Amino acid sequence: MATTLLHLSQVQVRRGMRTVLDGQELTVESGQTVVLWGANGTGKSTLLETAAGLLPLEVGHVQHGDSVVLDSEGRRRRTPLTLGVVLQKNGMLGAERVGEHLRCAMSMSGQSIDIEPFLKAFHLTHRANDTVAQLSQGQARKVAVLAGLLPAFASRAPGLVMLDEPDAGLDHDAVVALCGWLDELRARGHGLLLATHDDRLRAHATHVLDLAKDGVKPLDEIPALPDVHERTSTPTRPLAAGGFGVRMHVRTMMWLNTNAMAALLTLGVMLAMGEFMSELDGMQQLGVVLAPALAAGLCGEPLVAALREERAGVWWRAVNRSEPHASWLPLLIGLAVGFFSATALAYPLDATTLGAAGLLCFVVWHGVGWMQRSTQRLARPQAVFVGLLTPVLILPYSLLVSLLS
Amino acid sequence: MKPGETLLFLGFGGIGATLLLALLWAPSVSLEAFESPAAQRIFYWHVPAAWAAFIAFGALFIGSAGWLFRRSEQMWRLHVAGSEAGLACGLMAVWSGCVWGAAEWGTPWDWTDVRLNTFGLLTLLSIYVVLGRGSQPDGVETRDTFAAFGLYGFVLVPVTYIATRIWTIRHPGPVVGTGDDGSINGDMSLVLLLGAISFTVFIVGHIMASMRLTALEQRLERLQTSTDGGE
Repeated sequence: MATTLLHLSQVQVRRGMRTVLDGQELTVESGQTVVLWGANGTGKSTLLETAAGLLPLEVGHVQHGDSVVLDSEGRRRRTPLTLGVVLQKNGMLGAERVGEHLRCAMSMSGQSIDIEPFLKAFHLTHRANDTVAQLSQGQARKVAVLAGLLPAFASRAPGLVMLDEPDAGLDHDAVVALCGWLDELRARGHGLLLATHDDRLRAHATHVLDLAKDGVKPLDEIPALPDVHERTSTPTRPLAAGGFGVRMHVRTMMWLNTNAMAALLTLGVMLAMGEFMSELDGMQQLGVVLAPALAAGLCGEPLVAALREERAGVWWRAVNRSEPHASWLPLLIGLAVGFFSATALAYPLDATTLGAAGLLCFVVWHGVGWMQRSTQRLARPQAVFVGLLTPVLILPYSLLVSLLS
Repeated sequence: MKPGETLLFLGFGGIGATLLLALLWAPSVSLEAFESPAAQRIFYWHVPAAWAAFIAFGALFIGSAGWLFRRSEQMWRLHVAGSEAGLACGLMAVWSGCVWGAAEWGTPWDWTDVRLNTFGLLTLLSIYVVLGRGSQPDGVETRDTFAAFGLYGFVLVPVTYIATRIWTIRHPGPVVGTGDDGSINGDMSLVLLLGAISFTVFIVGHIMASMRLTALEQRLERLQTSTDGGE
C-alpha cells in the first residue's frame, strides 16, 4: 500500500502583496512523480518551496509522512523523511568541492553510497575535487541536481525529492540520464515533486498538477518502472550546519577578512595612542583589553552574506532546518584576540580575562549573526541597517567588564 | 482639517507653551541639589517627550502584534505610525537627555546605565524599523520581519521600567507620584503636567495623521498596480 509522503492541506501563501497559493491541496505518495505544470508566475516554485517547508503559511499546514513540519502558526518540525531538494538556484557555495557537497547532501539521509557512477553519468568524474566556483554554469547545475537526488538513492526508507526546473542548463545526455534516475527513484518507492516546463521530464511523471487548473490529475501514459539493482549504502553521520560553517570559515578565511581585522585594527589604534594603560583604573584597563574581542564579535557572522550565493543558506534550511554558522570558532578567535590584546597592552594575563574575551566574542558574534539572519526573508536583506541594533551588545560588554572588575 | 491634524497642531501649541513656561515661569531648582540648575529646565521637555515615546512604542507593539496575529491592515498602519512617532519622540528625549547629562553629569552618555541604554536602544530600534521598512518593497515578508522587531522592541519597555527602579546608577528615578522627598513642587508639576498633556495630544495626533497618510499611500499603490494591469 502506498504511503503518503507529502501532504499540503488548504495552504495559503503570500509573496509580496500577492496571494500566490490559496487553499492549495497536494498529496504525493510513495512511487509517484507529480509534475507541477504551468506558465511562469503561476506559483510552481512557491508551491515547491512551501512543500519543502521554506515559506511561511497564512493558512493550512504541510505534512511530511505523519509529521506536520510547518503550520500557519509558525510551528516548525524537522522532517522525519529523507529529503532531497533542488532549488531554482544551485544552493551551493563557490568554495565547496564537488564531491564534498554531494557527500554532505547525502549525509542528511544518514546513509552514504558510491558517487562515482553518478559523476560518470554526468561527465563530472574529473571534477570531483574541484570547487564549485571552477565549474561552468551547466556543470554546477548538474552537481546541484545530483545533490537533490543522492539522498534518496542512499536512503533505505521512502523519501521525498523536490526538484525545481532541474533541466535548466543541462545538455541532452544529462536530461536523458536524469529521466532514468527519476524512474529509478520512483521504482524504489520514493515520492517526487517536480516543477518543469520540459516535456521530456513530464513524460516520466505519474501525475500532473497544472496550476492554472484545479487538482492533481493522473496521467494516462505512465512509463514502465525499470529494474532496479541494489546500491550498497553505508551508515554515515549527518554533517551539522556548525561543522560545515567552521569548514567554510577555515577554507575561505572569511573570519580573518572581517572579524579578526576589526580586532587587529582596534588593538592597533589603542597601541598607537602610546602608553596610557597606567593612567586607567582596573575596570577601564579590562574594558580596553576586551575591546578588540568585542570589535571582532560586532562584525557578526560573515557566513550570512556568503550564504546568499546561489541561495545556499535556503538550501541548507530546506534539508537541515538550520543555516551554517561559525559554531565554536568565535570562542577560539576571542581567546586568541584576548591573548594578543593582553600581551600587547602589558595587562596581566589570566584565565578569567582570556575566558571573558572568548565568551564576549562568541556571544556578540552569534548575537549579531542572529540579527543578520532575521532579515534574510526580506526582498533586499542587504539594504537593512542591522548595525543600528548592535549597540544592544555594548550592554553585556559593560556588565561583563563591571562584573569582572 | 482632519481630527489627527487638529490634534497635531493643538499638541504643537501646547508644547510651545510648555517650553515658554519652562524657560520663563517655572521656579528654579536648588543651587545645592544640581550641578547645573539652569539645564534642569530641559526636564520639562525631556520627561514628556520620553512619556510620548512610550505611548508611541506601545502603539508600535499593538500594531505589530495586530499585524502578526490578525493580519489587519489597520494594525499595520498603527505599526507604521507607532514607529515613526516613536522615532520622533525618542530622538527628542535622547537628544535633550544628552544635553542635560552633559551639563549635569559632565558626560552626555553613560554606557553602564541600563535605563539610559535600553531607551536609547528603543529609539535605535525605531530608526531601524523606519529606515529598514523604507528600503523594502511593501509585502508580507517586509511586514512580518519588521512587526517581529516591533514586538522584540517592546520587551525592552518593561526592562527600561524595571531599570528605573532597580538599576538606577546615574539616571534619576521617577519624580512624580513617589511620595518621597524627591518629588517636585506644585508649580513644577503644573508645567510638567501641561507638557505631558501636550505631548500626549501631539503623539495621538501624529499617530492618527500618520495612519491616514499610510492608508492614502496604500490606495495610491493599488491604483498604480491597477493602472499597470495587475491585480
